[in-house]
Amino acid sequence: MNGGAPPTRSRFRPLAQVGLRARITIAFSLGALLVSLILTIASIIIIRQNLLAERERLVAERVAINSTLVADKIGAADVDTQSLFGSLSTAGKPSVIVRSAKAGGDIPISLDTRYGAAVLPASLTARVLDQRVASTIRFERNGEILLAVGAPIPNSTGGYFEINQLGDINKSLSSLLVPLLAAAGVITAIGAGLGWWASRRVLRPLSDITQVAADVAQGRLDSRVAYSEWADDVDLAPLVSAFNDMVAAMQTRIDRDARFASDVSHELRSPLTTFNASLEVLRNGRDEMPERSQLALDLLSSDMERFTQLVEDLLEISRFDAGAVRLELDEVLIVESVEMASRTLSTTPITIESDPSLQGVIITLDKRRLMRVLANFIGNAAKYGDGARLITVMRATHPPIDAPDEEPMDWIQVGVADEGPGVPESERERIFDRFSRGEMGGRRGNDLGVGLGLALAAEHARLQGGSVWVENRNDVISGARFVVELPLIEADDEDSDTWDNDTLGLDEVLVGPSTSEVTSELPVISIAESDPGRAR
Amino acid sequence: MGETVEVGTRILTVEDDERIRTAVRLALEDEGWEVEEATRGEDAVGAFERSPADVVLIDIMLPGIDGFEVCRQIRRRSDVPIIMVTARADTHDVVAGLEAGADDYLTKPFVPKELSARIRALLRRARSTDGSTAKMRFGELEIIPSEGVVTSEGRIVHLTKTEFRLLVELASQPSKVLSREMLLERVWGHDYFGDGRLVDVHVRRLRTKVEIDPANPRHVVTIRGLGYKLQP
Repeated sequence: MNGGAPPTRSRFRPLAQVGLRARITIAFSLGALLVSLILTIASIIIIRQNLLAERERLVAERVAINSTLVADKIGAADVDTQSLFGSLSTAGKPSVIVRSAKAGGDIPISLDTRYGAAVLPASLTARVLDQRVASTIRFERNGEILLAVGAPIPNSTGGYFEINQLGDINKSLSSLLVPLLAAAGVITAIGAGLGWWASRRVLRPLSDITQVAADVAQGRLDSRVAYSEWADDVDLAPLVSAFNDMVAAMQTRIDRDARFASDVSHELRSPLTTFNASLEVLRNGRDEMPERSQLALDLLSSDMERFTQLVEDLLEISRFDAGAVRLELDEVLIVESVEMASRTLSTTPITIESDPSLQGVIITLDKRRLMRVLANFIGNAAKYGDGARLITVMRATHPPIDAPDEEPMDWIQVGVADEGPGVPESERERIFDRFSRGEMGGRRGNDLGVGLGLALAAEHARLQGGSVWVENRNDVISGARFVVELPLIEADDEDSDTWDNDTLGLDEVLVGPSTSEVTSELPVISIAESDPGRAR
Repeated sequence: MGETVEVGTRILTVEDDERIRTAVRLALEDEGWEVEEATRGEDAVGAFERSPADVVLIDIMLPGIDGFEVCRQIRRRSDVPIIMVTARADTHDVVAGLEAGADDYLTKPFVPKELSARIRALLRRARSTDGSTAKMRFGELEIIPSEGVVTSEGRIVHLTKTEFRLLVELASQPSKVLSREMLLERVWGHDYFGDGRLVDVHVRRLRTKVEIDPANPRHVVTIRGLGYKLQP
């Protein structure tokens, strides 16, 4: 189609769709989240330990006091539970265990059966009653964390115990958790912000470089990243300077190639000029020459013409290769221009079919390049397809062929159809290659064309973001249709500084060419002007 | 075309390559013209001062002062038709040549028939003043084709012959739009694939001479996508 195969693109790129910047930001916020969660958990643990230790200390002190207070009362034979615990100041659930040999064991006395002596862990009672040591133990019962503290009752065999519920500590801890988690959230957000900022700093040279690379791709080879902005950044300065060096090296190389092409061009064009002029002089005296010389001169003439064309084409294509070509955009009445071109380029009349919506439409394109393409197509049709018969000017809407995922855009398609044998399927891409002859080459006979015309046509189209291809005529007549497709960019009213609003009197448009002698036979195209100030 | 060549038409060719110069001279002499040769830019300016030629053919790449400068110096003294010859079809060279005052340009390797056709077109233009004698008025602009005179507010505007011919072409179809191709064909004798820049640069130059405000032309106006027209 347009020479090179369009790059294949993967449709699946889940990770690649998250940009570097997003990834940096995510990493920063995840880090911040992790750190703040660790801090939250650590502070909860430490605060809990402190609260528990404090509680244990308080309870232990109270238990020590209470154990002496109950000492007097347990001497009596009948211990009244109410009177035993009534006078005590306690926040917990008190119990007393009296170890009595008489009764044959321990007699538990508790105020509250749920948190009574029966609940006390055996290890605690053993330590208090057997070893007579004040002890503290934390344990869990029915999902509730309890603190049990015991102390031996002085001058007796019993022990005084208290069970404290620690649920309130968890409650206060959980109320602390809310602000801590909120703080963690804030820290995470700050982390994300930091990541965004830092990544912008990291990525700014990248976006600068992207901009410059785009500029360079569009031919502004002197575009550079401002090094001074990054000069004091030890990490980024090498990247920026290496990039600038690369662009400079490329520019040097392109300039050198272009200069070389220009030098070669000069070296080739000069002798050709001499050849052509001298040949002309010889041709002027052809009639006086012997027949053999005339034949030789004719051979020389026709091959010189071909050779000149070849050199022109080679030089032109080398300019494409050297990147030394520039678009020259014109505003073109597309249908009228194609009509004019067909009249000039073909000795036989060609039917023009055009999309009615394109009548009078002005399109921005490089007219000379389009005309070169059409000249090539029409010339080609004359050589191999018994002459061009039908030219179509149509609209099309589809995404760019090398980026099928992108938005559809408008295209202008100019097709040149002949009634020749057509181009076999297998040749349709190859004939746009340089010097390709294909099977058509066999039919060239004496008229050996040079296989650069279609390759050049492809370059002319590609330079404008378009393409060329050949297909079978899709109507009843067999033949080949060569198509050039260019982006349809309707000329904007505002972008032309030479545009004048005073075209109201426009009634007729004269479009050449014709001989100045026969003005009455000028092709005249009438443009209906319903919208003053607008020539479309 | 096919006009008979006026005896004694002199063409000055400025070309440093001796072989090209000689071959071109032979081809031009076959057309019946008298050819004067110059190798260096300085020589060309001197030769033109001594005896002005009817057409000057200048190669851009010259030792010493280049073709652009030769063109400018000759243009300062005369409105003689000048054809620039360039070995490069770059926009830069073409536009620079036209800006320097050239009337037309040719890219090497040219076919001598093409060159003589261009020369003929320029010569025809140069004495196209015979014909209609009517005055044409476009606002403050007055054109008298028969005398080759253009006045603006009564003052004579000095135009080169190509500029004058361009103005007359536009004036001969008042208020009609002439496409670049048509102007190329009528004024320069080019075929359809002539270079529209030729017209654009000449129109620009013409505007600086005939328009009161060349940046906002009132007479020589651009019709987008179509071409140019002359209006009062």
